[in-house]
Amino acid sequence: MAINLKPMDVAVVGLGAAGGVAVLPLCRAGLKVAGIEAGTWMDPHKDFKADEIHNNTRAMITTGNKIRREAPTIRNSPTGPARRGGPSPMMNAIGGTSIHYHAQSWRLKPWDFKTVTEVTKRYGKSYIPQGSTVEDWPISYDELEPYYDVAEIEVGVSGKAGNIKGKIDKEGNIFEGPRQREYPMPHLRTCDYLEHMKKAARSLGWNPFHSPAAINSVPYNGHGACGYHGYCDRGGCHLQAKNSTCFSTIPKAQATKNLTIFDRAQVTRIVVDANGKVSGVSYIFDGMEYFQPAKAVLVGSYTYENVRLLLLSKSKAYPNGLGNNKGQVGKHYFGHWDAQAGASASALFPMDLNIWYGAILSQGVVIDEWADDSFDHSGLGFIGGASMTVNTEKHPIAAASGSTWGQVPRNWGSDWKKWIHQNAGRTASAYIQTNSFPYETTFLDLDPEVKDPLGDPVIRVTTMTRENERRAAIYAQDKMEEWFKAAGAIMTAKGNPNGPNLSTHTYGGTRMGDNPDTSVVDKWGFSHEAPNLGMLGGSVFGTSGARNPTLTIQALAWRTAEHLAKNWKSITG
Amino acid sequence: MASITRRTVIATAATAAFVPVTAIRCAAQNPNQPRSLTPAQRRTTEMLADRIIPADELGPGALECGAANYIDIQMADYLAPQKDAWVAGLAALDAFAMETQGAAFADLSVEKRDAVLMALPQNLQAFFNMARTYTMQGTFGDPHYGGNINGKGWDIIRYPGPRPATSPDMQKMDHEAEPYRKSAWGNE
Repeated sequence: MAINLKPMDVAVVGLGAAGGVAVLPLCRAGLKVAGIEAGTWMDPHKDFKADEIHNNTRAMITTGNKIRREAPTIRNSPTGPARRGGPSPMMNAIGGTSIHYHAQSWRLKPWDFKTVTEVTKRYGKSYIPQGSTVEDWPISYDELEPYYDVAEIEVGVSGKAGNIKGKIDKEGNIFEGPRQREYPMPHLRTCDYLEHMKKAARSLGWNPFHSPAAINSVPYNGHGACGYHGYCDRGGCHLQAKNSTCFSTIPKAQATKNLTIFDRAQVTRIVVDANGKVSGVSYIFDGMEYFQPAKAVLVGSYTYENVRLLLLSKSKAYPNGLGNNKGQVGKHYFGHWDAQAGASASALFPMDLNIWYGAILSQGVVIDEWADDSFDHSGLGFIGGASMTVNTEKHPIAAASGSTWGQVPRNWGSDWKKWIHQNAGRTASAYIQTNSFPYETTFLDLDPEVKDPLGDPVIRVTTMTRENERRAAIYAQDKMEEWFKAAGAIMTAKGNPNGPNLSTHTYGGTRMGDNPDTSVVDKWGFSHEAPNLGMLGGSVFGTSGARNPTLTIQALAWRTAEHLAKNWKSITG
Repeated sequence: MASITRRTVIATAATAAFVPVTAIRCAAQNPNQPRSLTPAQRRTTEMLADRIIPADELGPGALECGAANYIDIQMADYLAPQKDAWVAGLAALDAFAMETQGAAFADLSVEKRDAVLMALPQNLQAFFNMARTYTMQGTFGDPHYGGNINGKGWDIIRYPGPRPATSPDMQKMDHEAEPYRKSAWGNE
């Protein structure tokens, strides 16, 4: 039998990018919060190293034992066999994936929230991709703007505004939705390569700008500024200049004395009372089962695990899984058509770029001309597009192992060594992120065969290639190639975008909407069925945008938590 | 077994493309660190790494950088699950060298070792890919793991080194930052 713990006001499942933000408004409102996390604290001095073997080759930061054993299976058709996927998307630690992410901190566009309405208005209904289940979000950009603002301030985001209350500034992103103020910190340092790429973009008539990042360009939040040493990717920041939630919002929540962290605690079920309300969570710590009673539960354990936890939490009130009486849990899932879906472009330059150091995408420059609805899609055969980022940070093993562009016959020996001696520092790649949408035949469910060590099924991902997204990604790759050539690249290469696999950018499964027949949570992030259950993370998104999801996840997490605190009696009563 | 110091290797590499060594012991590396390979396996590993990234007029290659030492140490550690496949691959390489060139791989001249690698049959391709992967790790990875002695491998690709922080000057195009050759783990 489980050991019963002292009741708390709120149990937050997962202290990552989402839960690690939600705890702050709850604690500030005076609620007693149990933060339950499968991983534990990481030590910036011991764990975070400028070491490619540690971070990238062996993935020592990102792939713990728990997530290896819970990696979803994946299949490319709704009836085909599934194979075991890699563990890379998920992470167990206080701070979660915000420890190793690139810290890109974007606001989605107004268009992303109202895609169906806007596309229908401009091009007609026939432009909505066939088979897609895309809907307008139940909220607009303007409704989320105050929460973007608070997330940028509390997490700590650097950048340059392109639109403050309608006033356009060409140093920033001229295509962004109106902001109420400038970023809390200026954008990260530029460098020769980025200035070179900006000049090339301007020669094409495009408007380059520095990417927004949850990395300190100046001292902030009690931490120093970025050291630009170039080991952000899949590594934590030894300077704590990357605003992972374990260095930003979680310590602030701890300072209120209202947050109790239960680490190494693996939540296995959300428990429901006889009236169909959530009564707490069960978790396993050190081989023993515990029950944490709570008046409300917020689940922020990543898209795959959010859906798995609901589907596993069956009860009399919810025989098909928690909040799933209309069969919507796991539906409207989709992965982002980015590098993980094969969208890419790269270039070989005739000069040393010196982009070894830096801060991955966050020391980057972006073009938004070919994203969202920034351009006329009439007759193109797709909606959406992609943002394109060029950036710094190269690692030596990867640089030496890269393509030799057909210029030497073998990838070993003296000729090859001469080639990498000259060119390992002369190649660059771009990051392309395509607007992606949910479809009838992309979804998550429980795998009928593969189980984790506790005997619980893992998630099965059903995904496939999509003509709309493929066309948009190919269109963007061509634009990226044009940009590289304008910058003097002597050779360019493009990817073959054929669809998302397991990904660090996944969406839907507990979609947000006004209609309980097509969504799982309401406009505030609370279950249509269990009123004191809130969902946090990409699983509530209805569209992806053409940019990284984390800041939107954090703005929504803040909003859901604040809504709970402000409506405490009506939600938990 | 001959013991060759780092200084000797550097001096040798500067004057000759082929360095006849059986095993390298680097003063910066702990001799008590568990190893996985027999002396013969270690020597074959060295002679293979030597051809993947050879020493030449550009400077030391994988052998001098300690790639074989990386493989030897790591096959007793993180890469232990790969050890059986590695040892089987070395044996298959020797058998193929014997069949086509009349001697074990490590006993062949530079030219004949290259000829063996260029003629590898399909069943040795996976082993060669593995050898190349680990040679790259042992040459360009952090010195902490027993390879890339003193960060010499980073000179091959002109990587300036894993500094804890960098100045704007260090990101100038066509400007080589002063090489920084320390391990991120504080030991060389």
